Amino acid sequence: MKKILAIALLLVSVVYTTIDAQCGDDLLKKALKEMGDSQYMKDFNVDLTNVSKDTKTGYIKFSVILNSRTHYKFNTTDGLGNSEKVIMQLYDGDKMMASNYDSGKMYQSFEFVCRKSKVYNLVFSYQGGAEGCSKAVMSMVKQYAEGEMNF
Amino acid sequence: MLRKLFNCTAILSVILLFSACAGNSSKDKTDGSDFSLSDSAINENAPLQLSEDIIGEVIQNISSPVEMASLIKKSGVDFSQKILNNPDKVGDYNTSFKRALNLGVFSADLGYINTFDKSTIVVSYLLSVKELAEGIKVGQFFDFAALKRMASNSSNLDSLMEVSVSSFNKMDAYLRSQNRSHVSTLIVTGAWVEGLYIANSVIKETRNPELINRIGEQKDIIDILLIILGNYSHDKNFAEMVTRMEQVKQAYAGVKITTEFGEPKRIERDGTLIIVQDEISHVEITPEQVDNIIAEISSLRDFIVL
Repeated sequence: MKKILAIALLLVSVVYTTIDAQCGDDLLKKALKEMGDSQYMKDFNVDLTNVSKDTKTGYIKFSVILNSRTHYKFNTTDGLGNSEKVIMQLYDGDKMMASNYDSGKMYQSFEFVCRKSKVYNLVFSYQGGAEGCSKAVMSMVKQYAEGEMNF
Repeated sequence: MLRKLFNCTAILSVILLFSACAGNSSKDKTDGSDFSLSDSAINENAPLQLSEDIIGEVIQNISSPVEMASLIKKSGVDFSQKILNNPDKVGDYNTSFKRALNLGVFSADLGYINTFDKSTIVVSYLLSVKELAEGIKVGQFFDFAALKRMASNSSNLDSLMEVSVSSFNKMDAYLRSQNRSHVSTLIVTGAWVEGLYIANSVIKETRNPELINRIGEQKDIIDILLIILGNYSHDKNFAEMVTRMEQVKQAYAGVKITTEFGEPKRIERDGTLIIVQDEISHVEITPEQVDNIIAEISSLRDFIVL
């Protein structure tokens, strides 16, 4: 009986560790590591589940304020069990400003040089309305003086 | 054998699940009854104009104090502890309203201290955050032992910053999930005011154009803060904050923000995609307007910390 209990405990702890590695704090740690040298500002938790089979493509939206003359980085990390990588899009109203899925290529991150302070929307989804969990991190790469904005 | 193993695993899982849920429910009871200011703020006779979801979304739109601190460091000015709130005052904040506001103030101070890598004083500010957070029942999001260990080693300052920011993010998400957005509102307001107060202290000395530009851009944020504070203005403390915030708004009345359209740019550098926005904003603000804003923010900050 003791052996069975020990194995059961081990199984439960493995399940909990795996869940955490898939969608919990471990995933955030990974995203923070992949953020690189920029300054951590905020993180976003993406956890999309299809309620029914005929549900349209699911998405989750967060609003963020971005400041002018500031260079931001948005990077994502996907849960181990995801069938698809997360698509992250930055919108100004209805206008898409940037995406990590660009010209048929999937990027782990994108950077955005903001030149107007206002509220933007960050939208996350999976291709084909797939389910999945991911973490995204918004960080600050650089702040520019007025004369430094020549790209 | 397999059946026994399955049963044991199932029982353990259920125990773990219930212990996690029980932890949350006991917190709920404490949180709901302890926060004295919320008695009138959330009572049924005074319905909220905005839902908790909308307020939560609005709160997310307030800039992080870390950005302001980073801009101050970039200006080249030396660190000054005397412009920060004094940790010795924490014991004087004996209402939940004051504690929540000053938790925001100390979070902005902590961002400023971390940005300047001042590990020698960071512990006293962490302890202030601990005391204030516990005073409004959100101390569970801060692992103070770990934060203190990190603070004692200067090579860990980046991690300290990460854990601090992450703790505040989790606390904010929790407060909103518990329908305690009025507490988040106060924390965010305190942090915003302190960030501006620190920046203004630097502007008074340096007249740094980048900081003045950032102060001018805050014109739009005041409207956001007024919306969320106004939602609870049937509480006399919130009503007082709204009145004072209206005075700050008045000081901003003549500030102009214009927009021009440039060329959007898409750059791929070392495998990284960089997008440069096509819209460019400009702030027009006179020295007199800057002085008025500094005076009003200073007065509001005194109301919060004294």
